[in-house]
Amino acid sequence: MAIFGLWVINKAGGLVYQRNFSDGLAQLTSNENLVLAGTLHGIHAITRNLSPTGTSSGAHVIEGESFKMTILLTPTATKFVLLTSLAETTADSMLQKVYEAYSDAVMKNPFHTPEMPIRSEGFDRRITSLIGS
Amino acid sequence: MTIYSLYIFDRHCACVYYQDWHRTKRPRVAVEGGILPGVSQVIAPVKSMDASAAVLGSTISSPRNTLSSTSGVVVAVGDSAEPQGNALLQTNASPASSSVAPTGLPFDEEAKLVYGVILSLRNMVKKLSGRDEQFTNYRTSTYKLHLYETVSGYKFVIFSDPNAESLRMALRSIYVGPFVEYVVRNPLAEMDSKERGLDNDYFRAGVDRLIRGLAVFN
Repeated sequence: MAIFGLWVINKAGGLVYQRNFSDGLAQLTSNENLVLAGTLHGIHAITRNLSPTGTSSGAHVIEGESFKMTILLTPTATKFVLLTSLAETTADSMLQKVYEAYSDAVMKNPFHTPEMPIRSEGFDRRITSLIGS
Repeated sequence: MTIYSLYIFDRHCACVYYQDWHRTKRPRVAVEGGILPGVSQVIAPVKSMDASAAVLGSTISSPRNTLSSTSGVVVAVGDSAEPQGNALLQTNASPASSSVAPTGLPFDEEAKLVYGVILSLRNMVKKLSGRDEQFTNYRTSTYKLHLYETVSGYKFVIFSDPNAESLRMALRSIYVGPFVEYVVRNPLAEMDSKERGLDNDYFRAGVDRLIRGLAVFN
């Protein structure tokens, strides 16, 4: 039960917020994180079209052998991605709370430019109280 | 709960085998040259009329034809040009799936997308974990994709119901069971040839039996 990291990806596939919480995954440079977020954005679009039956959402949970990524796609196409251990069961509800914090502390911030990197102390604080340091 | 489809890719990125069960949105046939021969007869490009007539007309057009016409059962290599001599296969095709009109992408496009997704996710998982960790599966609202990769670079990909448990063990049993028995130990199957797929009646029947025996298959 561990939460490794949080990404917020804007609708163009750019990484606008990234934070690590606990060790367990590789320490990546911000450039590497940007590339991975862009890749995820592309994969998410393709997974919608691969459905063998009916229309599908994009990938919701992606699992490796020791961790998983849970993806929340909002109606405005912003993606919240939570990197957790496989056993973590609260990822979905946690993402909802992060989305709430984002609406309160980022979208209501008059100094924030939409689709640009999030530099907001208020958001940072809300995330810290939600997930921890 | 159900199983939708199975893909096998070799280490040269080519799709070498395909089989499906309960798909409601089926791929269209591949374009000529888009896919190797001997992957699956269902999605093989349609041959022009005179070409297929020529093959059907001659009884001994290839060494393989002599095998199938004399014994009636030895069809160790699947051949898209002779779909009628294939009693085993025809019983396997589930009536439900064959009655649905294809609505999806052409098969060659779809296979490329599937391969692209698993390759990217595999690299992403390796990068994120910093270890030699495998990507195992992902889930959307309507399906779940499972991946099992062998040491030799064969990738077994299965699409199932989103609520299915991990099917890696099932994929592994396809590998150690029918794959080893009817492909690796089959002197007529050209593995790693870059020229044709692995399709043959025994392998197809073996995989079909195994998948239909799974608890998630309904």
